[in-house]
Amino acid sequence: MFKNEEMEINLGPQHPSTHGVLRVKLRLDGETITHCRPMIGYLHRGVEKICENQTFFQGQVWTDRMDYCSAVANNLGWAEANEKLFGITVPRRAQYIRTMLNEFNRLASHLIWLATHALDIGAMTVFLYAFREREDILDMNEAFCGSRLTTTAFRIGGLREDLPPGFEKLVKKFLAKFPSCLEEYENLLNENRIWKKRTIGVAKLSAEDAIALGITGPVLRAAGVPYDIRKAFPYAAYAEMNFDVPTRTEADTYARYLVRMDEMRQSARIIQQCMDGMPEGPVMAKLPKILKAEVNEVYHATEAPKGEIGYYLVGEKGSGNPYRFHVRAPGFINLQALPKMAEGGLIADIVAAIGTLDIVLGEIDR
Amino acid sequence: MNKILRTLIPFDIAKGLSITGKHFAKVFFTANRRKVPFHITSEYPEVPAKVQPRYRGRLTLLKDEQGEIKCVCCLACEKICPTQVITIEKGKKEGRKMPFPVRYDFEMERCIFCEFCVESCGFDSIILNHQFELAAYNREDFSIGMEGLGQNMYEPTPVGKFSVADD
Repeated sequence: MFKNEEMEINLGPQHPSTHGVLRVKLRLDGETITHCRPMIGYLHRGVEKICENQTFFQGQVWTDRMDYCSAVANNLGWAEANEKLFGITVPRRAQYIRTMLNEFNRLASHLIWLATHALDIGAMTVFLYAFREREDILDMNEAFCGSRLTTTAFRIGGLREDLPPGFEKLVKKFLAKFPSCLEEYENLLNENRIWKKRTIGVAKLSAEDAIALGITGPVLRAAGVPYDIRKAFPYAAYAEMNFDVPTRTEADTYARYLVRMDEMRQSARIIQQCMDGMPEGPVMAKLPKILKAEVNEVYHATEAPKGEIGYYLVGEKGSGNPYRFHVRAPGFINLQALPKMAEGGLIADIVAAIGTLDIVLGEIDR
Repeated sequence: MNKILRTLIPFDIAKGLSITGKHFAKVFFTANRRKVPFHITSEYPEVPAKVQPRYRGRLTLLKDEQGEIKCVCCLACEKICPTQVITIEKGKKEGRKMPFPVRYDFEMERCIFCEFCVESCGFDSIILNHQFELAAYNREDFSIGMEGLGQNMYEPTPVGKFSVADD
């Protein structure tokens, strides 16, 4: 009697809930998604190729512009990959400052995720509160390195400058109020019936699928796999820090929300430890004027807020440029889970699936 | 029983509304007082925004006490710039031993404000100032140079006189 025809529609690339310029090709049977393919590449700038044509020192500014919500974490990965390539040891004080700023960046990234994810699903209040706290972190970025979003925070071999005077006061003020702010968000969302209906059991991804797809970060940890590079392969000063890796086993959107909220608590804990145990000393190692690589290749992975960000660098003898540069972007690989999460679900839930993956298209397209 | 009660009485919504109400009351009853920490917005065009001391704004050439340009054309900034926005032409000036920049062109539309040029300068002859209102209407306004060539690089950029207060 009724014709059972499938309809094909495009979500994006200019849709506000796709977090940038992601286009998702959907085939619908009524309201159920039967086929889902993300189309990427609208923001491709060729960052990897640009870096190959520039010196090791200059390359850092392009890493800011990949994942612009967590620029400091990208800077850290780039700087550490280069230090590995050239065999530079970074002073201990610089390591501590790097760890602290990286954790602040994780807070900023998770706050922007919370704000936009809740906004997509329909909880508008938390958007404003999360951006209020993020503002403080961006002010700290500005105080340390002079820029709020595209930080270019670190240098190969350490830091450009020490912490500015009065930075400790800013950190103390932030840490004093942040736990109560987190409680506020949880009061708004945790028991909210609309939030629970929109997230519990939505966009499930089992641990087997997540490992098979190479998913990292909070999405993997919400499936019950306690894999965190800060614990597994400690870098910067994480080996000396005392923190837990929060995991859940439900593997749905609500579990990922809880994992990220717990991660914010742990980040605040790491920042406190960095402040308490901040060693004195120089912040920059002694470097040659021009960095020239030997024939050598390096892969260095760090735990960015979105997952494992890896930098693959190949040096060429006598050259100041990398011969090959490749980024393992967490957003790019996490996005491959979208068909698995969305297919078989309702079209309204794909917005939750995109939000919970915490993608930034600047990093996916590079 | 508990579940039915929870479904019938919207505790969760009341909890959320109480948070919103608390914040509303805090701001509403302290609205006209100064230095209240609850206010997080600033009335930007009327109240000038402040930046931190390390803020990276527009590139500026510096002069020494005698009014001489400090730049000696070592071309370090030109080489290190990731987007190649600086072009320097070397020249000579009478009564000056060091080379003198005849042209120092700065294409601001491509500048990414990374401060690598300032870091590379061994003579402290350039800084990034605290100017952050850098928007302009014409593309020509973004090519900044020395005197006589486009905008003057020693002065701060002229700020547009459009604000809500003017209307």
